Amino acid sequence: MPEWSVIDNSFDKCLKCNACTVNCPVSGVSLDFGGPKHLGPEFKRLTDNQITVNEPSIELCTLCGTCDRSCPEGVHVSLLTAYGKAAHAENSGMNLRDLTLSRAELVGKLASAFAPVTNKVMKIKPARKLMEWTMHIPAERQFPEYRYNHFKKKYKKKVATTERKVAFFSGCYTTYNAPHVGEAFIKVMEYNGIEVALPEQKCCGVPMFANGQMKQGLKNAFSNTDSLLSYVKEGYDIVTTCSSCASSLKKDYPAFLKTEEAVKVSKNIYGSEEYLRKLYEEGELNMSLASLNEKAGYFSPCHMKGQGVGSPAMDVLELIPDFKIEDMDAGCCGQCGTFGFKKEKYPLSMRIGNEMRQTISESTKDYIVTECGMCKNQLNQLAVDKVKHPIEIIKKSYESV
Amino acid sequence: MREKFETEVVIIGGGMTGTGLLRDLALRGIKTILVEQFDLGHGTSTRNHGLLHSGGRYAVKDKEAAIECYRENIILKKTVPGSIEHTGGLFVKIPEDPDDYVNKWVNLCKETGIPVEEVSLEEAFRQEPYLNKRAEAVYRVPDASVDPFTMLTDVAADALNRGAGLLTYHTVSRIETKNAEVSYIVARDRYTGVEKEIHAPIIVNASGPWGAEIAKLAQIPLKVINNKGMLTVLNHRINKQVINRLRMPGDADIFVPAHDVTIFGTTGRNVEKPDDTSLEREEFEQMVEEGKALVPNLPDIRSIRAFSGSRPLFEEEGEKDLSGRNVTRGMALLDHEKREGLKGFITITGGKLTTFRYMAEKTADLICEKIGLHQGCLTHEIAVPPRQSKEFLKHPSLPALAKQKLCSWAGINSSQIHSNLEEDNRVVCECEQVTWAEIQVYLNQSNHFNLEDLRRRTRLGMGPCQGSYCYHRTAALAVEKEATSRKEAAEALTDGMDKRKKGMNVVADGATDRQLKMMEGVTAVSLGIKKGGKAHV
Repeated sequence: MPEWSVIDNSFDKCLKCNACTVNCPVSGVSLDFGGPKHLGPEFKRLTDNQITVNEPSIELCTLCGTCDRSCPEGVHVSLLTAYGKAAHAENSGMNLRDLTLSRAELVGKLASAFAPVTNKVMKIKPARKLMEWTMHIPAERQFPEYRYNHFKKKYKKKVATTERKVAFFSGCYTTYNAPHVGEAFIKVMEYNGIEVALPEQKCCGVPMFANGQMKQGLKNAFSNTDSLLSYVKEGYDIVTTCSSCASSLKKDYPAFLKTEEAVKVSKNIYGSEEYLRKLYEEGELNMSLASLNEKAGYFSPCHMKGQGVGSPAMDVLELIPDFKIEDMDAGCCGQCGTFGFKKEKYPLSMRIGNEMRQTISESTKDYIVTECGMCKNQLNQLAVDKVKHPIEIIKKSYESV
Repeated sequence: MREKFETEVVIIGGGMTGTGLLRDLALRGIKTILVEQFDLGHGTSTRNHGLLHSGGRYAVKDKEAAIECYRENIILKKTVPGSIEHTGGLFVKIPEDPDDYVNKWVNLCKETGIPVEEVSLEEAFRQEPYLNKRAEAVYRVPDASVDPFTMLTDVAADALNRGAGLLTYHTVSRIETKNAEVSYIVARDRYTGVEKEIHAPIIVNASGPWGAEIAKLAQIPLKVINNKGMLTVLNHRINKQVINRLRMPGDADIFVPAHDVTIFGTTGRNVEKPDDTSLEREEFEQMVEEGKALVPNLPDIRSIRAFSGSRPLFEEEGEKDLSGRNVTRGMALLDHEKREGLKGFITITGGKLTTFRYMAEKTADLICEKIGLHQGCLTHEIAVPPRQSKEFLKHPSLPALAKQKLCSWAGINSSQIHSNLEEDNRVVCECEQVTWAEIQVYLNQSNHFNLEDLRRRTRLGMGPCQGSYCYHRTAALAVEKEATSRKEAAEALTDGMDKRKKGMNVVADGATDRQLKMMEGVTAVSLGIKKGGKAHV
């Protein structure tokens, strides 16, 4: 494999303007982090074809991708930091905690198999203290609950026969922590006369990339690309309810894999609300939506913003009669996937989440809507109990007719 | 009243040859003062590829030059270790170049003693992914990358340590002779206008492209062809090793890695004036077109800036060659006592960066002969202090890249930089990871605040932003820390920005064009400095 600076030399375009660093959620709260400009294009330029330099502060990059959309020159900043993370992990070795966190799928399988016990243990203080000592996972950090009856256990359809067909990329969070979101999506598709197949799939790779597990992440990416491409060829649209999976499939796969197959798959990926918006725009959306007299606030995940498709959740929810939704514009939540589960990053996670905490906890909404399970986790811990996925609300509106 | 100085030798010209001679004479215990009109290396010595030739390039065309290069290559690797990166160099045969040159070249390299090793194409492409995949044969020679900025600094510093004298920013306005013998020179301080009279029985003209002008001050006719070459700095280092085209030396056929960039060039056009460093867009485009032979996607690679400098090629009366390429690149040591009957006047010119030490040695030998001193050369044995200072790797608060920079840069200034860092550990130039602590060292050594001088010593502003941010930062910090006056900082800033822009303008398309606009935006809008106006620091 050739050195990837040959394949991707977007870092050549960096004008050093600092727009990425100014917008970076981590740089906003800490000077310990070199910032995306330094650890992305600058680092690459200063090490390419030269000696290897290990910069531990790359660990503080959350791979949220805010840098990518801040860059006026289109530098693939997070691609550079992802490779930087991989180089650092290779250089300094992986600890058990990061390795565990990066394997969200494996953890999901195990934790849901023993779900009633896992969920209880995660709420017992001495057990959490023990985890803090041994695994450096802060005792104060809330964990999402795992479901024994997880989504893949219940939904096994591999083929759809309707004219419009969807292949559902459920993602680890929906599968193991929030199967009801997956079920809501199937239901909403049903209301639109669309059958949903669940292809063979692995974790999208986001937690692996974020923990410097580039090789494992690429392995998953190749495997998912193969599986999803066979569905794309059969005329399926690929839809996911997770904004991070969507971001990864759309943006990371073509950038990391650099294959035609990945590019082809990426062009057929939709977030669930993005897909509904597409149906609406094409005049195919079932518009028998019942009125919902509710007031909700929308919290946009970084991985949603980074897709550059606007706020499809807002667009679709606004179609529901009497439903009031307002964009809370509350920045980054600070959970940042596995980042917020790490003891040494926990204070930063809290500092980043401060703006969100203030904005959300002072609001008078009935509940908060977000697509991201990890954002939900932090919203729950810092600001508000009631957090819903937009697809749940749409399902409710259809059901109330 | 002029201040008067007495010394044994005056050297005019602070390029690599003059500076090398200053150190050589200091090692031989001869009192010497060097006078340079601007900063060290203002002329040709910092306007080149930074290639430490193995001799390979000259093996076919000029065997003697090839032998000299290889010998000096080995000596310099030992004696100025801090400025040389042992990159090795590749000679690459592409289909467009004549087949019969290859064997001839290999055989002549062997005859000359230059070690040549064939590299499999697969291996060459693995090591150098940018290399043309149509290459037919690749050979490795011991070329290396040499940093002319640090080499000048280190050689000069070592000479000064050994008692030599140095006057930069001094123009030589007169050379006085008496009874067919040199008497003294008049040097005027460019900053203050104050004149100094330096008396010496021997005056060496080592002024490169200015050679004819200096000789004229002593009424000596001298013919120097100034052959201007253009080079461009690629935004990042695209090659691990030097890459040469395996053919008769021509234009645009060498890529030299230099720290974090690659320097690519060059051309050869004869110019009238020694200070003609003009840059033509057309020349740049031709160069890139030609360079595609070795690196096919060269047009897609960003150039940060271009620069040019003149090779001073000595032409003996009667020899006429207008192209410049075929005049000898070998050194010319002219004893004007023998030639024109002016006692004490010597010119050393021609040559290459790689052979500067040998040129200095030969000149010093002649000087010794003239003053009747039996002291052999020592520069092939005694090294200048190294640049490495590993202890910076342990610094608790610096970014890893800034540590790395200091680790291969700090050298004899290490302890001073360490204590400066305790006071202020800011990185002022992000592109090149230059700390304020380094800047401070050189500010303390200089009487004037000049951003371009600081650039040559620290790499400040050498990266893609070309001073868009760091020049202002440095000027402002220097005023804040009372290292300069507002007026001087403002002048340094406008002067520095003008120089950066000149090199950027000619390559300005794509990213560098936008960088230039950004720079102008920062200067004109954020700082309120009008075009051609004065900066307020």
